[in-house]
Amino acid sequence: MTGTVERRALTREQLLSVYRTMRAIREFEERVHAEFATGEIPGFVHLYAGEEASAVGVCSNLDDRDTIASTHRGHGHCIAKGVDVSEMMAEIYGRRTGSCHGKGGSMHIADLSKGMLGANGIVGGGPPLICGTALAAKLKGTGGVSVAFFGDGASNQGTTLESMNLASVWSLPAIFVAENNGYAETTSSTWSVASDNIADRAAGFGMPGVIVDGFDFFAVHEAASEAIARAREGGGPTLLEMKFTRYFGHFEGDQQTYRAGEVEHARAELDCLKRFADRVTETGELTQADLDVADAEVAATIDRAVDEAKAAPLPAEADLLTDVYVRY
Amino acid sequence: MARTITYREAINEALAQEMERDETVIVMGEDNAGGEGSPGEMDAWGGVLGVTKGLYHRFPGRVLDTPISESAFIGAAIGAATAGMRPVAELMFVDFMGVCFDQIYNQAAKFRYMFGGKAVTPVVIRTMYGAGLRAAAQHSQCLYPLFTHVPGLKVVLPATPYDAKGLMTQAIRDNDPVMFFEHKALYDLAGPVPEESYALPFGEANVMREGGDVTIVALGRMVHTSLEAAQQLAAAGVECEVIDLRTTSPLDEDTVLESVEGTGRLVVVDEANPRCSVATDISALVAQKAFGSLRAPVEMVTAPHTPVPFSNALEDIYIPDAQRIVNAVKLVAEWTR
Amino acid sequence: MSDAVVGVVANPLSGRDIRRLVTQASVFPTAEKANMIQRMLTAFGAVGVQRVLLSTDLGGISSAVFRAIERRRGQDGRWPEVEFLDGQPIRQTAQDTVDAVRRMVAAGAQMIVCLGGDGTARVTASAAGDVPMLALSTGTNNTFPAVREATVAGLAAGLVATGTVPADGVATRAKLLEARVGDRAETALIDVAVSTERHVGSRAVWDPATLTQLFCAFAEPDAIGLSSILGQLFPVSRRETHGVTARIAAGAAQQVLAPIAPGLVVPVGVSEIEPMQPGSVHSVGARAGVIAVDGERELTFEPGEQPTVQLRADGPLCVDVPAVLAASARLGLLRRPPMPGAQPGFPRTDRLGGAT
Repeated sequence: MTGTVERRALTREQLLSVYRTMRAIREFEERVHAEFATGEIPGFVHLYAGEEASAVGVCSNLDDRDTIASTHRGHGHCIAKGVDVSEMMAEIYGRRTGSCHGKGGSMHIADLSKGMLGANGIVGGGPPLICGTALAAKLKGTGGVSVAFFGDGASNQGTTLESMNLASVWSLPAIFVAENNGYAETTSSTWSVASDNIADRAAGFGMPGVIVDGFDFFAVHEAASEAIARAREGGGPTLLEMKFTRYFGHFEGDQQTYRAGEVEHARAELDCLKRFADRVTETGELTQADLDVADAEVAATIDRAVDEAKAAPLPAEADLLTDVYVRY
Repeated sequence: MARTITYREAINEALAQEMERDETVIVMGEDNAGGEGSPGEMDAWGGVLGVTKGLYHRFPGRVLDTPISESAFIGAAIGAATAGMRPVAELMFVDFMGVCFDQIYNQAAKFRYMFGGKAVTPVVIRTMYGAGLRAAAQHSQCLYPLFTHVPGLKVVLPATPYDAKGLMTQAIRDNDPVMFFEHKALYDLAGPVPEESYALPFGEANVMREGGDVTIVALGRMVHTSLEAAQQLAAAGVECEVIDLRTTSPLDEDTVLESVEGTGRLVVVDEANPRCSVATDISALVAQKAFGSLRAPVEMVTAPHTPVPFSNALEDIYIPDAQRIVNAVKLVAEWTR
Repeated sequence: MSDAVVGVVANPLSGRDIRRLVTQASVFPTAEKANMIQRMLTAFGAVGVQRVLLSTDLGGISSAVFRAIERRRGQDGRWPEVEFLDGQPIRQTAQDTVDAVRRMVAAGAQMIVCLGGDGTARVTASAAGDVPMLALSTGTNNTFPAVREATVAGLAAGLVATGTVPADGVATRAKLLEARVGDRAETALIDVAVSTERHVGSRAVWDPATLTQLFCAFAEPDAIGLSSILGQLFPVSRRETHGVTARIAAGAAQQVLAPIAPGLVVPVGVSEIEPMQPGSVHSVGARAGVIAVDGERELTFEPGEQPTVQLRADGPLCVDVPAVLAASARLGLLRRPPMPGAQPGFPRTDRLGGAT
């Protein structure tokens, strides 16, 4: 247990980096929200704004050996795991220069070279896959861990429950991160999750379950650090339940009549970026000027990404038939 | 050097030789060893019908028993494949595909395409299919048409021990997700199989018997039933060409079309239910691309549009037999406008 | 004889923090918390409590009790009337506990029962004022709350709430520590620890390497949690008026093995142990860090802020369950038919050793 604080202590550079990443997610999502409303973005997008502390708090503890799987609300996890923001934006616009050459779209952005096994259009699709990457890491002895991000909706899906059981039975280096933002589409998690706390299910699957304030970067970072260390040391899987809320609807276009004003309260009182900024300026680890510079840099990056995406070529007709198989 | 071994042993040998050659090959499934956590011995079964017997002790740590959690462990095999392993997972009965189909057709099959060519998913999912053991409706289906339909999957159905070993070897070495269908009534079938390792390519049908009068296209166990029918028909002066498709995806269209262009008459034999089956698939192919050569309508010999019945009397009628194939061949042979 | 009202507040989040992960801290199911409340309702009903005010939560406790009440309708009516304190937004923070307790006090509750760990007891105490409280253990560190069967605790709480057993003889004021950083203050029932951690983060303290200073209102040798460090070296009971404080440093000459969290027994270096007199104000030596109250990080402080810790004698009135039931036995309060002169709410008699 000694050395945990050293492991968890973030340097000035690291604090700036995590702030920048959280800000990048926020800017990216707010921008996609605005651009989607113009009708130029095809299909569906599901925005992560509000939940940044979870993706960044967890992924800032990961390295090249590690893999994550995500959900349909995957932009935050992609950015947190280091997927290129310009390629992501181009993919969302369906362009050839996108992360998936325009063939996946928002719900399927992936970058296996960065250990990002993909956003997933199937609720509960990620956890079984993460059991697999964790198994591979264990058998190869890489020390890598695998993280399955899933929502309160997916916490009720059989694939998730089976995966938690399997991860314990096989003692896999896996972390299950339940992002409980209170809603599965329009349905409240307090109604749909019979045990009320997703973390309470962990005991039933032979692993510790911890509730974490998902609006607090430092709380997430700390809990994730411990879970990841436990996994790397062969201690097996952990379930972390983040409690927070999403700022936008289930998808863009959702009128959200099922909600009752909690977003305003969250943006004003609980916002993870605001709390992070308040905290690090209070301790003097960063100055407001540092943060302002980061904000400006991020804004410019996102602007550039959008401009590039809009100007990028669409896939060619021949691209329709490519990459179904490695070799047929 | 070939000697006679069974279909079951041939698959086991392919697995063992590939596991020997490549340490990234791992095996997983329910009771693939057998005995996990139980007080008696490990490798108690080696798979419910013994296909993976002996591998557990020979390759320590690489044969993994699983809980009854198909969506989790089939998904895990797929995930591990994206991370550099070559897993051979067993879906014990293809009838169970319902509980894990998403991982197969929405995840494994689509990664490469959805991720713009950046994913490689070299997973093999072995599964048992077919009627004949009185296992009834939920343990006797074929279902390979459902998988053949999905772009991104390869579907393999060996009919002989020789093919079983060669096609399994290819399946493991193949860099795409492969569904490997093993007919449960063929496990005890013996045949010549070389000792050394060899791989048979996908998308190459096998002409089991040459003949100029009628083409019979069959797959899996129906290949043997078709050969039986062909022998009877030869005695009556009708020479049949029997083609074993071996793989439905990729499909060897050329061999089928070439044969039909020669004979002008086609009977397709498929143990699966008739709607949207391989039988209808081959029939449409021929109607579209060899229409000019056809001298009779295509005849399909398939199971009926029913679940598989339990009683001996009924299951024996359900499964296409040699007599029905003989009748179908005679129909097309004698057909005139 | 007025309506006897008992307030019950249960913390749905107790027992779910990071100590489940970094040690083998207990997993206390929501279902059991709900069962405990139901057992208490039975006990309350048996001794004449008329009304119970129950906190509401999103963790499934109040909904489970609600379902149980619905199922009981039409059956024997031995439970008191239960009023759920809803209508206020639930924030899923400690503030929910504070708000609930304040409403119970304002509604005239004669007793507050809380279910949780040290954290819940602390927060309840901060809002209970002069209303006697009884803390039942369902959390992680359970130094302050009693591990006691809920039915028996319910009987004790009910006997006091109805005045059948006067609170005077069976409730004592606990000591209190107040930690202050400028105009921010937090109270602790057991210990205040100074940690080098930078942030409140996951709140729990489990790493002795981060501690620099410890203040204990009491330190029992058989406690779990940070107070056990001093409990082995300089025991102080709840009844004594003083407390104890010490410096913590890994390299200190005096080392002690202490169970600082469930499942965690570690060597801790201790120096400069000295008693704290009631009312005395002690300064915190560290320049910056976080102050933890009853094992949970709460108050961050930066250079120049100079935090202080004071031992106070005006903590919550805590009900002594064994004393209540011993009094009940002496007075025959639970005998049926009741002993002559033994009625609920009767004034103190000579049997208790003093006239009114």
